Amino acid sequence: MNVDRLRRVISAPDVSGTRYKLLEEIAHGGMGVIWSAIDTQLDRKVALKVLPVWDGQRDTPGSELLLREAGVLATLEHPGIVPIHDAGTLPDGRVYYAMKLVEGRQLADARAGASRGDLLRLLQRVIEPVAFAHSCGIIHRDLKPENVMVGAFGEVLVMDWGVAKLASTGAESGVIGTPAYMAPEQAAGQNDRVDERADIYGLGGILRFLLEGQVIPRPLAAIVATATAAEPDSRYASAVALSADIARFLDAEPVSVYRERWWEIVLRWTLRNHTLLLLLLAYLIMRGLTLFFLGR
Amino acid sequence: MNKPVFGLLLGGFLGIFDGLTSWFTPAVRDQLMGIVIGSTIKGIIAGVLIGYFAKKVNNVALGTIFGLAVGALLAFGVCQMQGGKYYFEIMLPGSILGLVVGLATQKFPARTTS
Amino acid sequence: MNFPPTHYSAVREASSSEAGARGRAWDRLVAAYWQPVLRYIVMKWRVEESEAKDLTQGFFAAAIEKNYFAGYDASKARFRTYLRVCLDGYVANERKSAARAKRGGGAEHVEVDEALLAGKNLDEYFREEWVRSLFGMAVDELRALSEERGKEIAYRLFAKYDLDDEGHDPEASYQRLAAEFGLPATQVTNHLAWARREFRRIVLASLRELTATDEEFREEARALLGVSLGGSE
Repeated sequence: MNVDRLRRVISAPDVSGTRYKLLEEIAHGGMGVIWSAIDTQLDRKVALKVLPVWDGQRDTPGSELLLREAGVLATLEHPGIVPIHDAGTLPDGRVYYAMKLVEGRQLADARAGASRGDLLRLLQRVIEPVAFAHSCGIIHRDLKPENVMVGAFGEVLVMDWGVAKLASTGAESGVIGTPAYMAPEQAAGQNDRVDERADIYGLGGILRFLLEGQVIPRPLAAIVATATAAEPDSRYASAVALSADIARFLDAEPVSVYRERWWEIVLRWTLRNHTLLLLLLAYLIMRGLTLFFLGR
Repeated sequence: MNKPVFGLLLGGFLGIFDGLTSWFTPAVRDQLMGIVIGSTIKGIIAGVLIGYFAKKVNNVALGTIFGLAVGALLAFGVCQMQGGKYYFEIMLPGSILGLVVGLATQKFPARTTS
Repeated sequence: MNFPPTHYSAVREASSSEAGARGRAWDRLVAAYWQPVLRYIVMKWRVEESEAKDLTQGFFAAAIEKNYFAGYDASKARFRTYLRVCLDGYVANERKSAARAKRGGGAEHVEVDEALLAGKNLDEYFREEWVRSLFGMAVDELRALSEERGKEIAYRLFAKYDLDDEGHDPEASYQRLAAEFGLPATQVTNHLAWARREFRRIVLASLRELTATDEEFREEARALLGVSLGGSE
């Protein structure tokens, strides 16, 4: 008797009689197991998310959360949010949902070798689906580098909406999220105080992660500090505001959360208009040379 | 402020500056006032033309080349008025300043999206 | 935190005041733990199998007579761990008595055969033997069920495909089985699906019986399936 094989027999979702054909387990975490599969009706690869066999039957707390996650994904139709195709119950009684199979890299891998400008533009693409979710009244609550995928063509997807909540719902008990990227009010279990700004904190944490090992100019450091402020009122009021400040930084314009000193203004203007200044310098050098040679 | 006006002001300012540098050439120092006035007018004309081009054409490369061409052409005209003298001293700075105005009017003032 | 019990539990029923319920519960516990206890005694105490059988027999007899498991608290430890601690205590006492009887001395010092453990510690070894026992019981139940329902073919396919200790390519294996049993490949798939579904149900039902609370059931399911989901073993 091969015990490991029998373990797999028990763990694997029972897809007999469904349109899916299992391929392999690709990930597992606290909120379920993800398998790659083939949708035999549409002849395409999908990802199936199921709960562990002991926790995934209908009417268990785990299955209610999974179906809620499916509901959230179904509401959020955005290029930066993985689309959901199907949800239901498998023959073994476990609830599941099927979504697009994302083949790409995690943010940590996409970060390697990228310039600061590229990283900031990458973060802006992460912010877009988050801002969209906020506009639909949904807060992610678990934003972290591991939940961001960069696809083969550079598309950015925010994943794992398993602990997302409707901004309008009341407080839940317990601490929800990942400690390293969790806003202080979330870490303290003050779920009634958790709103879109908790996601701003997570985005700030991702920004800090992207900039690890780089020299960070003061205006950019101020952006990170504002996004990750301990008090929600001290953070950016919205994901859009954070993205706008990043855009200003990229365009060498003053950012809203940093008051520049005069020499910083001069330096920024100089860097922004360096071509023009170089031409003027060329004129002056040329003028000087002609006067010098004429004088001789 | 619109681009032709900006071009006018920048071209005029640079024209004054360019004209004043002739003070360092003793041979023409006594004609300084005339040179400055002429250079200023040349700068204003160039600035308006280049600024108008920048208003119509949103392309840094084309705007810069246009500025270079206008600056060189007007400088050539001045050289002809001087009896075909001082080509190097007049056309080279004139062309570069045309470049500068061409680039500057493409960037400033920033275009507003309608 | 104590979770209210919501399912039949042989662990709880072992302390029942009703003799019939107690008997059934002990039957279940002994069936599940006999082999793991026996193998554990052999491994840890380096005794012959015959002596290990006597110790196993003695342990369960003592456990039933003295109701060892009445003091079990699911909030403090898993039942499997509690049983092993009781077992260690029982065997240590028995060996001390035996050694005193032999030569009037203290207990023998025993060294564990590291090679046999194959890199696991004793706790892991006990767990693996318990898993093996549980799966073994489930296979027997599946066989009986398939005979009862006239689905012997499903059991035979399951035994050939999932119990045989060989690596294989699923597609080729289904074709091979279909040829061997004279069935279309789709029927092979359906039979296997039935057998696996029932096997899964039997294993999880057995596991529920062998745990005291839902929380313990979930933890033991993770241990059984070798999956770490953020919790510890």
